Amino acid sequence: MSATGIGAAVRRKEDQRFITGTGNYTSDISRPGELRAYFVRSPHAHATIKKVDTKAAEKMPGVAAVLTGADLANDKIGGLICGWAITSKDGTPMKMGAHPAIAADKVRCVGDAVAVVLAETLRQARDAAEAVEVDYGVLPSVVDPAKAAAKGAPQIHDVAPNNMIYDWHLGDKAATDAAFASAKHVTKLDIINNRLVPNAMEPRAAIAEYDQGNDALTLWNTSQNPHVARLVISAFVGMAPEHKLRVIAPDVGGGFGSKIFIYPEEVVALWAARRVKRPVKWVSDRSEAFLTDAHGRDHVTHAELAIDANNKITGLRVHTIANIGAYMSTFSSSVPTYLYATLLSGQYAIPAIYAEVDAVYTNTAPVDAYRGAGRPEATFVVERLVEVAARELGLDPAEFRRKNFVKSFPHQTPVIMTYDAGDYDASLTKAMDLIDYKNFGKRKAESEKHGKLRGIGFSTYIEACGIAPSQAVGSLGAGVGLWESAEVRVNPTGSIEILTGSHSHGQGHETTFAQLVSDRLGVPIETVSVVHGDTDKVQFGMGTYGSRSGAVGMSAIVKALDKIEAKAKKVAGYMMEASGDDIEFKDGKFTVKGTDKSVGWGDVTLNAYIAHKFTGGQLEPGLKEGAFYDPTNFTFPAGCHIAEVEIDPETGKTTIAKWVAVDDFGNIINPMIVEGQVHGGIAQGVGQAMLEGASYNSDGQLVTGSFMDYAMPRAADLPSFKVDTTVTPCPSNPLGIKGCGEAGAIASPAALINAITNAVGHENVPMPATPSTVWKAAQGGMKKAAE
Amino acid sequence: MSNVTVTVNGKSHTVDVAPETLLVELIREKLRLTGTHVGCDTSQCGACVVHVDGVAVKSCTMLAMTADGASVTTIEGLANGSALHPMQEAFREHHGLQCGFCTPGMIMSAVDIVNRKGSDLDEHTIRDELEGNICRCTGYHNIVKAVAAGAKAMKGGAKPARAAE
Amino acid sequence: MALEMSGEYDLPQKREIVWKALNDPAMLEKCIPGCETLEKLSDTEFQATVKLSIGPVSARFKGKVKLEDIDAPNGYKIVGEGEGGVAGFAKGQASVALADEGEGCKLTYKAEAATGGKIAQLGQRLISGSAKKTADRFFENFVEALKEYR
Ligand code: FES
Ligand code: FES
Repeated sequence: MSATGIGAAVRRKEDQRFITGTGNYTSDISRPGELRAYFVRSPHAHATIKKVDTKAAEKMPGVAAVLTGADLANDKIGGLICGWAITSKDGTPMKMGAHPAIAADKVRCVGDAVAVVLAETLRQARDAAEAVEVDYGVLPSVVDPAKAAAKGAPQIHDVAPNNMIYDWHLGDKAATDAAFASAKHVTKLDIINNRLVPNAMEPRAAIAEYDQGNDALTLWNTSQNPHVARLVISAFVGMAPEHKLRVIAPDVGGGFGSKIFIYPEEVVALWAARRVKRPVKWVSDRSEAFLTDAHGRDHVTHAELAIDANNKITGLRVHTIANIGAYMSTFSSSVPTYLYATLLSGQYAIPAIYAEVDAVYTNTAPVDAYRGAGRPEATFVVERLVEVAARELGLDPAEFRRKNFVKSFPHQTPVIMTYDAGDYDASLTKAMDLIDYKNFGKRKAESEKHGKLRGIGFSTYIEACGIAPSQAVGSLGAGVGLWESAEVRVNPTGSIEILTGSHSHGQGHETTFAQLVSDRLGVPIETVSVVHGDTDKVQFGMGTYGSRSGAVGMSAIVKALDKIEAKAKKVAGYMMEASGDDIEFKDGKFTVKGTDKSVGWGDVTLNAYIAHKFTGGQLEPGLKEGAFYDPTNFTFPAGCHIAEVEIDPETGKTTIAKWVAVDDFGNIINPMIVEGQVHGGIAQGVGQAMLEGASYNSDGQLVTGSFMDYAMPRAADLPSFKVDTTVTPCPSNPLGIKGCGEAGAIASPAALINAITNAVGHENVPMPATPSTVWKAAQGGMKKAAE
Repeated sequence: MSNVTVTVNGKSHTVDVAPETLLVELIREKLRLTGTHVGCDTSQCGACVVHVDGVAVKSCTMLAMTADGASVTTIEGLANGSALHPMQEAFREHHGLQCGFCTPGMIMSAVDIVNRKGSDLDEHTIRDELEGNICRCTGYHNIVKAVAAGAKAMKGGAKPARAAE
Repeated sequence: MALEMSGEYDLPQKREIVWKALNDPAMLEKCIPGCETLEKLSDTEFQATVKLSIGPVSARFKGKVKLEDIDAPNGYKIVGEGEGGVAGFAKGQASVALADEGEGCKLTYKAEAATGGKIAQLGQRLISGSAKKTADRFFENFVEALKEYR
């Protein structure tokens, strides 16, 4: 392994600019003559808009324009859409309500935009926004997904009676019912998967500029997938033809899913910039982010597990109500369906599974993919059920899992997925060793001596990543293909630019992608640069989410590098008067087989461009190749997280005493970066399990709408983690990579809640397990123990 | 509008500001030093931390006018020319950043912790002292390591040791 | 509504006088905390501007105050609703009842309040405290102003 090649913990190339304050985030950009935009937003969760009076605001100092939903409609700017079609049980398509970028007739959640003010300064825009008078007709609202479809609930979109978007199912109902009918034991759980606010530290932002001479628009935005943004804004919103719209996502300060989606504000910025013929800049403040970024999770689930006399799992039955919010965000429909129910088999060989999912509108912010997207919800259902079942049956939770693991591959689950490779025993065993499971009893006794409760909890999770084979997702309703593109440009002097459709917003692609190239071509890593995030530079790409940049994005680079190598060999052949087929390439050197004749990388790249030696006119000059890579399967990262907690029953305070994660991500390009991804994922999962929860009051007001009320994990809330790996290379892509971005967030909530419920001896510990929740459970557990 | 004179990263600036202008607005918008970030509107996240007369301050909570006559150091002024400050070096070495958005505030806070608490910092102290800085990416694990190593390096005046692989 | 409060006060005046005071716009203007203007639209409806601050948000709310369920001189319901622009809205209502008690009379109230928009989002932890304080201040002001009221 070379110091900068595949497998090395190479320090990140991008860090130089971030640690010196010279990064270039969207809000850092300022265009000459720009106006600042400020949105007037609804304070009501549900109301008709009777009148929007902008006259007073238009006269305020510095104001260039005040635009409303009516103006937007007059200019025939289309609404936002959800790009994944889901079909209900009865064969009818999902019921998608209109989503205008500025509401004209009706607002459906607090924070819905009703007007935008454009002014010379942000302060002027904000002051003028105060003067916009909106006359609302307040309507009753509903925020609880479990009540949204009830009789008499307020109707949010006319197209969706009873607020029902779809009722969908997956699996074999009859076979599952039969499994339950013959079960020896059935474990039942009611689960609420709490609603989360992604809260990437960089708030969303958009700057739009109109070039009158060319009738072209440029948008700088905080996007995880600028090409998809351009496609949607062009094809569905109808803003401008694709070739007249350039989208640039520069440095992006974290996304976690929330920056995949196309949002109203970027549409409005583009439209406004063209209308007023000046650049328009909008930067979200954190309060707006809480109200308008797509939230995550928010499931209400009833789940049952059937187990036979041999302690084998024979069936799983799940009913979930998924809160979609007030509008269907870009990929919202796929999250509680194909990203959720398809993972309900977990790491287990379960013969029969049946899942039903009802997706409902409520008067809350839209809900869409957030780190893990569907898979954390699935893992939580499966891993809680399995843990509780083991406890009810008096079995060791590790052994019960092991007994039911999938052991041979490929394995076809009853819910679409075909697991290609894995070794679940190996990661479980390694994790148990690392946490010293044998001596847990001793540690528990020690804690008890000090009046503390100690608990341990497992989560043996699986996820489907490397999203995704285009044909497969197409057959499931996706509106796009999920391949990736790459272009490798080799300069005459031998330096290399990699253009990728993946987008880095913390993942370190500038380093890992360069490592791949350095390794493959034997060139110094400093001579490789990675270009991403600009639709004018990179032709097309699908962006970064679903832990896909390694497995799919890098595989595209590998394909392009194959072509580069083939062509470079031909160039070397001309240089050494040999056939290209007789050239060997190793460590940056081209050698004629069986001879000591060789030429170096730099010589070949220069000759590719001067083309002096190309005889016969067969070979084109230059050295640049592109490739599209479409995966043949999802990848299936899996592993085992074990959490150990100590709880003070007097106060309910939970301390995480130990955390072990053993993940199988297949082959690894940069272990330092992979570990960092795991740490961050665990922190978000711990946040969900112990701290975070977005809550709306019955009037539809978001009462956890700031960092004062929404508990973000801070340094003192978390322990250091023990992170390790096992490796079964992924057979479905050339690098054997599975992906690591979401694992931590998927695995950890179940591990933590399993540990807490183990400690308190009571299964009813809803997330977030705050001290008061845990205290109550601990009291309940002690009462139960005393009886 | 009134005049404020501040020395930022060693350079004196006299700027005309409205009375309600925040220090962070002065730094980002008037001086175009965009390394100092804004991550919230309730002074909770620490993305905006700078040093005012040598002490860490959340620049989103301070009026520009109160900084009149003060000496301000932002992330852009921490390195000594092209030689990185040991704390910057430690963040890179220990992978204490991912998206980089919280990083300037984290580094400025970390240097302040060392200034106040010395260079021998245990994990518990570092975690407690980072109370005012939120990072959504790293889970803090590597930030804690970076701060400890950076603190040691600040004392030695040397570059932080390369981390064990 | 989101929040409920109640309280009672012993007042130093006869019920009829208290009742008159409760229906007197000048009195209401004086006693509603933060009230900047109160204009009479009809006998039971007023246009008001009230400055309120809750936590980090402060705003001027413009809206209507209405008197409902009037049962002279025993009590009524006072209902207010105001829009505070970008800050959101605030609304509340209080049922006020009067009963003779010795030389003076006893006032009991039951109030509800709700807020929306930014003021609800950022001021949430402070709202119940602020609402209670606002209600208390109103009645404290009222008791004080009653002393000289004829
Ligand atoms: S921006 Fe200053 S603390 Fe968040
Ligand atoms: S590195 Fe992204 S928020 Fe800290």
